[in-house]
Amino acid sequence: MFRIDFNKLRFLVCDDNPHMRRILRTLLHSFGAREVYESEDGATALEMYSHYAPDIVITDWSMPIFDGLELTQMIRQPESKGNPFAPIIMLTGHSEKRRVTVARDAGVTEFLAKPISAKALYQRILNVIANPRPFIKTKTYFGPDRRRNTTATYIGPERRGNGESEVVSQPSLLEKARSSI
Amino acid sequence: MANDKRDSLHVETFRDHHVITQPNPLRKVLRRVSEKDLDDPVARAEKALASLSGEFKNWMLTEVDRLAAAQAALLKQGVNAASRDELFRAAHDIKGDAATFGYPSAAAVAESLCRIIEHAPDLAQVPSELIVHHINAIQAIVRNHTRLDTVTTASELSRQLRGVADEFLTRVNRDRPEHLEAVLAPSIAPGD
Repeated sequence: MFRIDFNKLRFLVCDDNPHMRRILRTLLHSFGAREVYESEDGATALEMYSHYAPDIVITDWSMPIFDGLELTQMIRQPESKGNPFAPIIMLTGHSEKRRVTVARDAGVTEFLAKPISAKALYQRILNVIANPRPFIKTKTYFGPDRRRNTTATYIGPERRGNGESEVVSQPSLLEKARSSI
Repeated sequence: MANDKRDSLHVETFRDHHVITQPNPLRKVLRRVSEKDLDDPVARAEKALASLSGEFKNWMLTEVDRLAAAQAALLKQGVNAASRDELFRAAHDIKGDAATFGYPSAAAVAESLCRIIEHAPDLAQVPSELIVHHINAIQAIVRNHTRLDTVTTASELSRQLRGVADEFLTRVNRDRPEHLEAVLAPSIAPGD
């Protein structure tokens, strides 16, 4: 059985609703987190993201001016100076299938529909820590692999071309981001 | 060097995509514990959440006041992008928060109101009573929450309002297949 050492994790919480921020802060501190940075809009969150280099981002979707979807898209810039790989948990009142798809295509790692519960939040955090997915970069997408499972019985068209593969090693962007603080 | 290998990204390049794998930087925060370990972070967090519950009624009243103010602004200014967005955000926050705060019926009514705002072709053409009834229902559910006999009434009220709203949205979106599909689709988003 595994436990998470929350006191070693740095969180960035972005929600325009102060009550929801209070709930999230309470839950994360109760789990054991010490470093929880808060923002009430996406623009401030992006600044804080660059400044604090959090390990995990938890963001609402609907916010004025600069929403959680735009925040995700800004973080998931492969050429950016910051870390484009941080897990992003989208915590939102939106619960429709097409919203989940849009969030996934923006590069969100996990989607959690409100109402929030301690158990659901803990499970999402555990999942992004224990089961990170590789990142995929195409002309139109950069983010966690959207294929969570492989299905041997899949009979639709194969959208990813194979061909030759080349393995290129690069320095970790996370370490680079951390070292530049 | 060993460190270089551990800290590096591996990029597999294919014809039309790259697969990027990096060593898990968060693995170090996972700690193996005995099955007999009694520490339960979820239970601890639930207890902390319960300790906040005394504030939930006031928080809900604040949310309800914000919704009423958004409606008043809509009536005063007419429907424009700002008044529509604020009404939606106020309703959407209640949809997301109310169940956590112990008001699931208010969340259900707020969800119905959000669907009206999102899927009506023209909010100015929505019968004003439909919006007013939703807002009044949310206010009544929150203000009378402590009365035990209101629980089933609130549930029935939210169910009936959702029925009326869905009937309206199905009718006005009959020639808008994308919206009609969204109106009729079940919620599938992952929660617990």
